[in-house]
Amino acid sequence: MLLFRSEEAIDAWCKAATEPRGEAVSLETVWALSQAWYGDRISPGYRGRTLEEARRLFAKVGLTVPFWQR
Amino acid sequence: MTMSGGLSDQDWAIRLHIYGYFVARGRPPTSEEVASHFRLEEAEVRAAFHRLHDHHALFLDPGTDVIRMANPLSAVPTAYRVRVGDRGLWANCAWDSLGIPAMLDADARVEAILPTTGEAVNYAVEKGKLKADPFVVHFPLPFARWYDDLQHT
Repeated sequence: MLLFRSEEAIDAWCKAATEPRGEAVSLETVWALSQAWYGDRISPGYRGRTLEEARRLFAKVGLTVPFWQR
Repeated sequence: MTMSGGLSDQDWAIRLHIYGYFVARGRPPTSEEVASHFRLEEAEVRAAFHRLHDHHALFLDPGTDVIRMANPLSAVPTAYRVRVGDRGLWANCAWDSLGIPAMLDADARVEAILPTTGEAVNYAVEKGKLKADPFVVHFPLPFARWYDDLQHT
């Protein structure tokens, strides 16, 4: 996942690099996602995450468009 | 010994040790170093590394026993350098650059290179708050496909 200044920059990058165009997420939301996703990564009880758990976590930080539920 | 998702408690303990070592030293341990820590045969540790890799709990360099990633940490330099206190750590991607302070529950400064322009930019996490320009992060693939081609994402 790469960092850009704008969605237009993402479009240009995807075109130039022939990358699939996915979803753009604000860095602020990525910070919320990071806290939910990685906050327990070095907890002794961490045992990974299922697809369903991941989808619930995405929804919790506001990532609700179909891309995040596929 | 109990199993969770095909991994044993010992596998998970090895994984946790790898993370602690990686954070402390800025590089992952070798199988020899992990074997020495747990007083195990190195072959046993190498097998654990591969089970953890197959489980996506860490990622090895293809065809080797060398740890390449323990998300959000990267063993190789990337466009995302994260400074936590006096430590410097490499993140795998823009998301992971914030994953490191989230994982460590610590303040951090990130030095990143934008892919389109090569511009060097900075952002930070201070007391749980993000301090950054209004950047956006591109997620090319839905979660179910993230591990099809990890380098791609």
